[in-house]
Amino acid sequence: MNRVFKGAVLLLFSFLLLASVLVEKEPKEYPKSYFLEQGTRETGAVNLVTALYLAYRAYDTLGETIVLIGAVTGVLVLVGREK
Amino acid sequence: MIALLLISLLFLVSLGGMILSKNLIRKVMALNMLNSAVIILFIFFGSLKGTHAPILVGGETDIVDPIPQALMLTAIVVGICVTALALAFIYRLYDRYGTTELPEIEHQVHQNDQ
Amino acid sequence: MRKTNILDVVSRKLSPFILLFGVYLVTFGHISPGGGFQGGVALASGLLLILLAQGPGVLSRTFSLKGISLVEVLGYGLFLLAGLAGFFWGLGFLSAFLAPPGTIFILNIVIGAKVGAGITLICWHLFLEGEESE
Repeated sequence: MNRVFKGAVLLLFSFLLLASVLVEKEPKEYPKSYFLEQGTRETGAVNLVTALYLAYRAYDTLGETIVLIGAVTGVLVLVGREK
Repeated sequence: MIALLLISLLFLVSLGGMILSKNLIRKVMALNMLNSAVIILFIFFGSLKGTHAPILVGGETDIVDPIPQALMLTAIVVGICVTALALAFIYRLYDRYGTTELPEIEHQVHQNDQ
Repeated sequence: MRKTNILDVVSRKLSPFILLFGVYLVTFGHISPGGGFQGGVALASGLLLILLAQGPGVLSRTFSLKGISLVEVLGYGLFLLAGLAGFFWGLGFLSAFLAPPGTIFILNIVIGAKVGAGITLICWHLFLEGEESE
């Protein structure tokens, strides 16, 4: 009975997911022209993705370094050595 | 259209594997695949307009959207951290209960409660 | 299952080239495809090849566990310092303070070292499983 219930929920969720994803929308790209024109001049990077995640969105990179330190601490605590 | 069908197929297969599987390591592998499916979906939706990679070496102007690519770099590293912590949890569960099958662990927990 | 000579020879000869490729990805991150995250993962995979093929004793001779932990902690501190250095020039937090490619070049190297050290540390601790090392 448990497996039937799980299977039914999965089937319902898959129908909803397919119905919402397969409607192909045309994406709007507002800030792309700004990065195309001003990105190289302001940051000096030819690689636009590097200019994005290090100059315009550097706060997200700081948060990601925090997540890395948290993961290393968690693994060290869980698998730690007993003295 | 074909690409969207394949990405949602990957998402549904890994979600079903994570819910219905009884081995803990298979659950963690399905979680990682789930992460990859969502990341591919974001980058696919960013590549619909434009023909060139967002690196302005020769003075191109017809580039794909660089914003989802920059955001998904952080998402990939967060996925690695979640998988590492889940594997560390599985190591502790194996140390305590001696098995990685979920029905065995539930059986031992019920036995300890009585 | 015996360990053959192929694993021994290939891992010792291939690992410096993987590390060199990782350093190239990190330092040329603002011109060609690459950057901090990609180069950091390549650096980590170069170190982990030695760890998995030869054992943690061989890796500890060149890169000790305490050394890589120090690199990770120093990387985080350098990132915060680079963010706070913008205050001296009257700009905000994490803004560019050197000439155009200066700040993101330094930040690329810091991120590459930090991500490489972090992933190596995670896999090293999972590999050692709580035994006493060295």
